[in-house]
Amino acid sequence: MSAAGTNTKKTHSFQLLAPGVVWMILFLVAPIMMIVYVSFWTQTTFAINSTLTLDSWRNFFASEAYVGALWTTIRLWLIVLTLTFIVGYPAALYVGLLVKSKTVSTVLLVLCVIPFWTSFLIRVLAWRPMLGKEGAINIILQKIGLIDTPIEVLLFSELSVIIGMTQIYVVFMVGPIAFMLGRIDRNIIEAARDLGAGFGRIFWKIIFPLSLPGVVVGAIFVSVMVLGEFATSGALSGRKVNLLGNIIVTQVGSLKWAMASVVGVILTILLGIVVAGFLRIVDLKREI
Amino acid sequence: MESKVLKPVLAVYAGLFILFLYGPFIVLGILSFQQGPEGGPQFPIIEWSTYWYKHLFGLTPPSRIAPLPVGEALVRSLTLAFMTMVTSTVLGVMAAQAFRKRFRGAGLVFYLIVLGMMVPGVLTGLGTSLLANNVVGIERHWWSTAFVAHVVYTFPFAFLVMLAILNRFDGSVEEASWSLGVSPITTFRKVTFPLIFPGVLSAMLFAFTLSFDEFPRTLFASGRDQTLPLAIYGTFSVEIHPNIFAFGVMTTLFSFALLSVYGILMALSVRRAKKIAMQEDIS
Amino acid sequence: MKQSDPIFRLDGVTRRYGNLTALDSIDFTAEDNSYISLLGPSGSGKTSLLRVIAGFEAPDSGRIWFQGRDITDLPAHERGIGFVFQNFALFPHLTIFENVAFGLRNGAINPPEAEIIQRVKETIEMVGLTGLEDRNPDQISGGQKQRVALARSLVMQPKLVLLDEPLGALDANLRERMQTELRTIRERLDVTFLHVTGSETEALAMGDKVAVLDSGRIVQFGTPEEIYDAPIISDVALFLNRFNLFDGTLKDGVFHGAFGSVPVSGARANETDVYAIRYDRTQIFDTGSTDLPGPALPARYLASEYLGSSIVFLFETEDNKTVEVDHHLSLGEPRDLEVGRDYVLSWSPEQAIVFGKELAR
Repeated sequence: MSAAGTNTKKTHSFQLLAPGVVWMILFLVAPIMMIVYVSFWTQTTFAINSTLTLDSWRNFFASEAYVGALWTTIRLWLIVLTLTFIVGYPAALYVGLLVKSKTVSTVLLVLCVIPFWTSFLIRVLAWRPMLGKEGAINIILQKIGLIDTPIEVLLFSELSVIIGMTQIYVVFMVGPIAFMLGRIDRNIIEAARDLGAGFGRIFWKIIFPLSLPGVVVGAIFVSVMVLGEFATSGALSGRKVNLLGNIIVTQVGSLKWAMASVVGVILTILLGIVVAGFLRIVDLKREI
Repeated sequence: MESKVLKPVLAVYAGLFILFLYGPFIVLGILSFQQGPEGGPQFPIIEWSTYWYKHLFGLTPPSRIAPLPVGEALVRSLTLAFMTMVTSTVLGVMAAQAFRKRFRGAGLVFYLIVLGMMVPGVLTGLGTSLLANNVVGIERHWWSTAFVAHVVYTFPFAFLVMLAILNRFDGSVEEASWSLGVSPITTFRKVTFPLIFPGVLSAMLFAFTLSFDEFPRTLFASGRDQTLPLAIYGTFSVEIHPNIFAFGVMTTLFSFALLSVYGILMALSVRRAKKIAMQEDIS
Repeated sequence: MKQSDPIFRLDGVTRRYGNLTALDSIDFTAEDNSYISLLGPSGSGKTSLLRVIAGFEAPDSGRIWFQGRDITDLPAHERGIGFVFQNFALFPHLTIFENVAFGLRNGAINPPEAEIIQRVKETIEMVGLTGLEDRNPDQISGGQKQRVALARSLVMQPKLVLLDEPLGALDANLRERMQTELRTIRERLDVTFLHVTGSETEALAMGDKVAVLDSGRIVQFGTPEEIYDAPIISDVALFLNRFNLFDGTLKDGVFHGAFGSVPVSGARANETDVYAIRYDRTQIFDTGSTDLPGPALPARYLASEYLGSSIVFLFETEDNKTVEVDHHLSLGEPRDLEVGRDYVLSWSPEQAIVFGKELAR
């Protein structure tokens, strides 16, 4: 401690860290604090002033539409989270564990990532000609003869939002799971097989527990993105599905900063609970 | 036994999964060749044509469908992505470098940085614009407020990439350099940086693409002038035409070009080393 | 600077890692222009000592002097002390030539290009790497890497080079050749080598002086002969791997052990009572011999091992202790021994070294 050498090294780390830390405090922590603060400001029709009040909070909980948006957000989040897991896990199992060749596994993973090189908004938009009344799915189903009249509920409904979000976010579930599965020592599985364990038993006793950190990391990614969503619901629901994010956008659009902030705070709390809950299961820093 | 059944079943499933990921693109690609200007953004294809691609570049006679306002937006997006890339990579390399030594509060700083990628864009965007609008009292611009919000988002990615690279970096070459009388700063420039360059390249790529495509933060924080994602978002509310599909195909191709440049840069250094090694073997 | 001036001096240097004390108040003075071996078992703190001298780590207390200057607070790159790593730590992105030229090009001195080329060429020639200048570090062998690492340090003309187990990563043949070369190269230049090793053979063969490090303390410092002939405590004797050590009790000038009771003329202070006799001073006699030079230790012959210039015979005593007898071939043909037969081992008592809790005079 007393030696100068140690001290210079300390200032050295400090100098390296300071710009990044200051940046995050000024442009991340301060803005979030700001949201909390402004949620207690007084909103008039055209302006906002810093007289503290609980009006906006009262308005939020008094409005069926706003509280409804909270429940819609939670419902959609749970559905999409479950779907990304159900749809993604088998794919991850194949890519991460069952494919023997490293090259094939890498190629498959790259194939999963390539769509991300197209603009997010265009990826969302691409579902419209897919799901629409005259969309690809309806055309195919009619050609096969499964249906006579096109299914209209496919587009501009909650279903289309769920399908869209699942497709866009499932890769964030597949990636971490495949990564964890790839790290499993194949000898353990071979040993278990030699001892006469069937695949089901091996899966539940060895494979699944070892992939669990991947599931949790994937779930954190998906949750964070779905809870903050507004573009997919805006583009694919025809304004029928309103999430907390959509409310923030409309409120800011009409300069209702206080209400937007109230929704922002609620979203922050919701996220905090979800992420903290997941982090209790797995230590993110150790997994990276 | 079960695995023998399971593997092909899962292989088929993985195929379907890839199809699920690509389906909308295929449809989008097909519809971008819809006849114009009467053909709409849906099936059936009236007649195959490249009308909408020409429309995109302003090569078609004027019609009731306005061309996409992408020209200036594209330039802005590229500039913004470049600024963000440089800033977040520099911050990321510096922070990751500091994390090579143990220090008190490392856990806290780690989570503070990672928070930037965890907080949804709506919140960062809202908070940044509140701060700019109601406290500092400045106008929002893509190059100021949106820029700082972008870096908040991309810096953590650059940081994590560099952390992974530096974790595997053997520090004895740096010590060797110091013992030869070379200062730590020159050592970083001449030894550390060249050796971690592939990682830096990945961090830059990450930051660039994330920023180029960033939408929610930009929506709140960029003010009057639109970036590319905002321009696309603008077409959502109005009627959509196949020109947006053609544009989607174009941006995808652009992304691939960028990815190829990255791939070539990465492969070049590796191949050069191998080539020399082979010549040595022959001689 | 005169030949006998100290090149560097450690003054109560202490280094701790948490609760572990790696260096425990080390005082040490090294003469200029010499080859010093620093011998110690793993975990004795020898690498920490080198890193503290090099300036990669700061001591928790104590001062370090180099060429008459206090360098404790000087960063590594301003010390002018060379360092050769066990894993060589060559710059993988530079050719051999550029590896060697690195310090000249990027350091504070920055000589003209012609001089750089001249000095690099000379150094590369000295370590015998001429012709390999344009190769990359991954295209040369371990021994060649070692020479590059050495050349890279020497081209800076340091007064002190620290070598951290420099031969540890090489195979046995190469290690012997490099031992000779390191000595020759050092003698040609006016430079001090501080060579850290865990091998007693290497330390004794190479050093003009040997420092023995144990648990963060330098327990003995002297010429190889001094260390070999007179280990200061039984731990050093044990570590040198040249002594048969017997436990027993020392009382009133008499050592009581497995070989009976022997009067001793003097003993060195030690934590336990130990009787030590060198392998090559132990002699073999038939059971019942009457002309023994000293104490009689009955032992069964197990096996022999041929080591080139000598043969080692292994015996087992009645209390299952292995005893070694080293017969140097220059002393004549060894006698034939029958495996499994009992013999008697003996030695001249004045050649034994006795360590005792009480100092018998």
